Amino acid sequence: MKTDGCRHWKEELGAYALGHLSDQKLAALEAHLEGCPSCRAEADSLLAVSRLLPHADPEHFGPAPQPPAELGKRIAATISSERRSKRRRRRLRFGLGFGGAAAATAMAVLAIFILSGGSEGNPEQHVAFRSLPSGVRIAATLEPQAFGTEIHMYVKGISSGTLCRVYMRGPGGDEVSAGTFRYRWGADDSAVLSAALDLSRAEALVVHAGDRTFVAPLGNAEAATRNQSQQEEST
Amino acid sequence: MPPGALTDERDVREAYSAHAPELYGFAVRSLGDSGLAEEAVQETFLRAWRAGERFDPQIGSLRTWLFAILRNVVIDLGRARAARPTVSDEGVEASVEPFDEALLSWQIEEAMRRIGDQHRRVLVETYYRGRPYAEVADELGVPEGTVKSRVYYGLRALRVVLEEMGYED
Repeated sequence: MKTDGCRHWKEELGAYALGHLSDQKLAALEAHLEGCPSCRAEADSLLAVSRLLPHADPEHFGPAPQPPAELGKRIAATISSERRSKRRRRRLRFGLGFGGAAAATAMAVLAIFILSGGSEGNPEQHVAFRSLPSGVRIAATLEPQAFGTEIHMYVKGISSGTLCRVYMRGPGGDEVSAGTFRYRWGADDSAVLSAALDLSRAEALVVHAGDRTFVAPLGNAEAATRNQSQQEEST
Repeated sequence: MPPGALTDERDVREAYSAHAPELYGFAVRSLGDSGLAEEAVQETFLRAWRAGERFDPQIGSLRTWLFAILRNVVIDLGRARAARPTVSDEGVEASVEPFDEALLSWQIEEAMRRIGDQHRRVLVETYYRGRPYAEVADELGVPEGTVKSRVYYGLRALRVVLEEMGYED
């Protein structure tokens, strides 16, 4: 049978697939389907579509919510800061390796000195905050830099969106701001901050997360030898 | 590294403008919270970028890959939410099935949004609201036969859109 001649039947197929045909019309259509492979194939294909309909909720047929405009920018910014810090770490490793091989020349030693901020051996210092509320994790990696200290902050388990302010405490208790970041759920990468204080002179790393304050003494602090465990201070 | 891998920031920007609306729409539908949905989409693109070298368009589309990442992100989120003192028997796998069901629902709802208003309208009235064709025809001021043919063309349009979206049953 030519497909064009089936137009009338085809237009019944939607109601057929949804189970909306009267008994009489259903019987007539089924008789036609017996002898028309083209209509049969179309009917089967529409039946497959109709079987999906119960999975959808007509309450959700309205316009889909759009992502906020700043989401794309935030992702781009996070990626480029991650890429920069990766590149910086590579550069630092390269610098130290080069220094080992060419330590004989004063120039090279000087270059490394500037690059690694003047510290010898392992330039990074890992800081884990202890005595934290259950479920909360705060850690940091500190890297000496020519400008002071680069701080990679890792935070987990506090409310998403909490504003965190970070300071480095220098000799005499003066606090140098390292900047702020907001903890976001799922952002398991670090916030990269910097403070204009030499790591070798820093005595503590201080994080104000919302209305709580967490302090981790650093290796340089005399306090650290007196009291190995970090304490939570009230603001 | 396969050609087409997602390696630089421009690739990610392009992937974002092509797929973020869908991923976000689905994340809102599945998580029921726009804040969480933003987090999930952000995490999806960050993971995609970190694993960008492993993306191979020969194996599957970028869209499929991003949805697979989002799936893991949503499961991790469910795990984080479930990390409470009581341990349930269902464990982690329990969150996979609702995800797949939510993805199916969302795909059909998205397809419904993409077909014409007239087609969607007759499907909503006759199928979801179970109203008689004659009543719907009256309301729309068209013959009953027109309602019937719109149901037919509506289902066909839905089939085409689902195919375009990569739906496979």
